[in-house]
Amino acid sequence: MTLPRTKKLTLTTVAAATLLLSACGGSDEGDDTTPTPSPEAADETASEEGSGSYSAGDYSAEGSYQTPGGTQSVVVDLTLEEDGTVSAVTVEPQADGGNSEQFQTKFAGGIADKVVGVKIDDLNVSKVSGSSLTSGGFNAAVDEIKAEAAA
Amino acid sequence: MTARVVEFDRTWSRFRDDGAVARLRAGETVDLGPDAPALLGLYDRLEALSDGAVNPLVGGGLEALGYDAGYSLRPMGAPVAAPAWSSARRDGSTLTLPEGSVLDVGAAGKGFLVDAVAAVVLATGQQCVVDASGDLAHHGPTSDAAPLGVALEHPADPSRAVGVAELAPGRALCGSATNRRAWGQDLHHVLDARDGRPARDVVATWVVAGSAAEADGLATALFFLDPVGNADRLAAAGWPDLEAVWLDATGLHATSSFTGEVFA
Repeated sequence: MTLPRTKKLTLTTVAAATLLLSACGGSDEGDDTTPTPSPEAADETASEEGSGSYSAGDYSAEGSYQTPGGTQSVVVDLTLEEDGTVSAVTVEPQADGGNSEQFQTKFAGGIADKVVGVKIDDLNVSKVSGSSLTSGGFNAAVDEIKAEAAA
Repeated sequence: MTARVVEFDRTWSRFRDDGAVARLRAGETVDLGPDAPALLGLYDRLEALSDGAVNPLVGGGLEALGYDAGYSLRPMGAPVAAPAWSSARRDGSTLTLPEGSVLDVGAAGKGFLVDAVAAVVLATGQQCVVDASGDLAHHGPTSDAAPLGVALEHPADPSRAVGVAELAPGRALCGSATNRRAWGQDLHHVLDARDGRPARDVVATWVVAGSAAEADGLATALFFLDPVGNADRLAAAGWPDLEAVWLDATGLHATSSFTGEVFA
């Protein structure tokens, strides 16, 4: 299951992080994060010229979060420009079975028969709205990225 | 902005033991701060509209089904109806509940926070789109009046959409679905407060409204209220010509006011 939930964000890093924080409302999930730093494409030249406190480059981090269906995780990849803006973000939920998958299967049997829908990849959309529960893990993952980029 | 979010969480979260919810549960009178009149006032409208199905005292019912702060996810006995919202005593921003009542603003709280975050940004003179994982408010550039295309995620398949909303600047879209926050046979997080049982007939809802708080709360209310059959009641409650999409056992539906496309 791979979902490019947000293809292009043109927010500053501070704004992006804060908006994500707003989504974690109820609890402090996502404490159990496993950072997987991979700034392989970091642009050292650009970072020297940048005025922000973060280094430009591509970053990846994984965050986990508690759901009623058990622990799940997301992998967040984002590209940080030298001016501090986030130019690309992808979120990949790491499907790993458990209750969520069971429920998706169950609902799929009842509803997918009636409503097929359209592949989101084939649509010209900026955002996706549905059931939400990836925010805690997403937020934890972005925090890892921020810490890494500020180092 | 972070302080605004942290404070909101501290005041309203059912998932922490150091906040107002715990003290309300003990029967204390608690000042819930400057957000209280607007947020609880919205709940007044939603509760009346839904004949009590939406009620911020539904927290005890959620706990009874296992959706508690510790995520035990094991039902503890029979479903529990929420205390009547009319049993709550309000005076400005202070609230007193019957002892043991558990406040849960899950129906509208997240949308309310989206609006609050947007307000912080707008106060600086900047435009923004606030996206709290699909509950979003569009305060973007209005010069080209470009609507924001938002895919309505298929409840059974996150790679697919059942429709696309064209969200105009100044409008907010919130969705609710029972597929992900679910933990057992027919157990999920959208409860009918009147009997404490999970909603059975509707699987997913989306509402476009003038604020994210309203859109969020109405998205929950539509699990118990057909917006076409109840158009007059919605109008009387201050929500005429509601823009809504919902998925129930009979398929996908949209109100005639909905701006966008549904794939059914």
